[in-house]
Amino acid sequence: MAEEIRAEMVANVWKVVASAGDTVSEGDTLVILESMKMEIPVLAESDGTLRELAVNEGDVVQEGDLIAVIE
Amino acid sequence: MTVTSTAADSSIVDHRDPEVRLRAVFDAGSLRLLAPRDDSGVLWARGEIDGTAAIAYATDATRMGGAMGTEGCRHIVDAIDTAVRERVPVLGLWHSGGARLAEGVVALDAVGQVFAAMVRASGRVPQISVVLGPAAGGAAYGPALTDIVVMSGAGRIFVTGPEVVRSVTGEQVDMERLGGPEPHGRRSGVVHVTTKDDDSALVEARKLAALLGRQGRFSPADVPVGDDTDGHDMAAALPAEANRAYDVKPVVKALLDEPGVELHAKWAPNVVTTLGRFAGRTIGVIANNPLRLGGCLDASSAEKAARFVRMCDSLGVPLVVLVDVPGYLPGLGQEWDGVVRRGAKLLHAFAEAVVPRVTLVTRKAYGGAYIAMNSRSLGATAVFAWPSAEVAVMGASAAVNILHRKRLAAAPHDEREALRTELIEEQTRVAGGVNRALEIGVVDDVIKPSETRRRIAEALAGAPAARGAHGNIPL
Repeated sequence: MAEEIRAEMVANVWKVVASAGDTVSEGDTLVILESMKMEIPVLAESDGTLRELAVNEGDVVQEGDLIAVIE
Repeated sequence: MTVTSTAADSSIVDHRDPEVRLRAVFDAGSLRLLAPRDDSGVLWARGEIDGTAAIAYATDATRMGGAMGTEGCRHIVDAIDTAVRERVPVLGLWHSGGARLAEGVVALDAVGQVFAAMVRASGRVPQISVVLGPAAGGAAYGPALTDIVVMSGAGRIFVTGPEVVRSVTGEQVDMERLGGPEPHGRRSGVVHVTTKDDDSALVEARKLAALLGRQGRFSPADVPVGDDTDGHDMAAALPAEANRAYDVKPVVKALLDEPGVELHAKWAPNVVTTLGRFAGRTIGVIANNPLRLGGCLDASSAEKAARFVRMCDSLGVPLVVLVDVPGYLPGLGQEWDGVVRRGAKLLHAFAEAVVPRVTLVTRKAYGGAYIAMNSRSLGATAVFAWPSAEVAVMGASAAVNILHRKRLAAAPHDEREALRTELIEEQTRVAGGVNRALEIGVVDDVIKPSETRRRIAEALAGAPAARGAHGNIPL
């Protein structure tokens, strides 16, 4: 089952760490966001393959925006 | 009053059998039924959990889907009242479609009496619910009134079932999506602990009953200074960069003697609430989690923490508060979601709490969120900070932009950034760090990570044991 990872809050995409097609494990950092003057890693919440990475460095994400899909 | 399946199970041992379930919750050989098996739909018993006396009741899903009638409800009330009299934890194992339709209003009155008994017992003895099947209508509010709700993979909680939902709102939804572990563990906050199956649900319930039923005594001497090498290095999880987020759960784990039980792990995850043993005694830990929402407090996390604080206070469980908070989460959504009203619950909960409660500022405590996280002003037993911690109204750069807005605006364009840098340095020197907080006495002492467990244990053990004289309303 595909798991969608969405932004929890408004943030800037500071660094994109993983790429689509990567094999990821629970706890792996996918993207690092910047918000509230904090660098906040977005982690994989399950093991699988990163089917989609929906953001690029410099993007602004709103709460609820899709960041990644893990299968 | 949703009717759930009453189909007979063909296997020899019916896993829905209430006696089988009660046997599994107690230590082997300790179960004693306190009423004969009958058609009431409820069975109750006494027994031991990890050597500690406890009472438990179970709805009988093999009879009318566990529906609650007059007799069954009387058994539940007896179980709860007995637990209060004997001052022991009471566990409820739930698998029930709600009130018995055939009995009509009489059954509603009986279910109401169960609710009243739960509220009478609230804050006096620990009440733990384990939801092992559908718990609908009246059987949904039963667990919801208790201190802690554990749900197995087969558990479902809803007021009205999928068919009624479909006929009224047109929404097509199954029982799992309506009220399974995912929605209640992550979205609604109804369930505190979710597990994959019945066995692990009962294991978690047993752990919680032992933590709350036999709390133990503090023994600070068992926490040597410099024991931070043996899995208790609280500072290890903190990144070198001050503005990098991290998961606080390893910090909580390093604080405790052994891993505890986290409540509401996936709901409002920006604050972590865990029950566990520390220096030999049960405590409650409340920690900001910078990994989620940067560790900001918001409406849901304040409410979650407030309920946890009130539960611990009512049951006499001391608190340790780990603070790393940038502030309250800004935004229209938060304001409309009642961050003021729901955030006020946390202020109220800490200010009224009489149990020993010690705060440790690990990295930063800013603004209103600083006050809310068991500050000196709200009556903390002790407030400690690590040497690199910062206690302030806000971060230095944000403060400069507000305090010196006019001066910055008036400065020539090419000098503005240099002036800003200079002002930030001065602001950091005057108001940054932890020294000012120490001077005015809102931080008692700056302590090293290696002595942290010992100092917290001594502070908790040195405070008079007390217990809040209030119930635990499910905030």
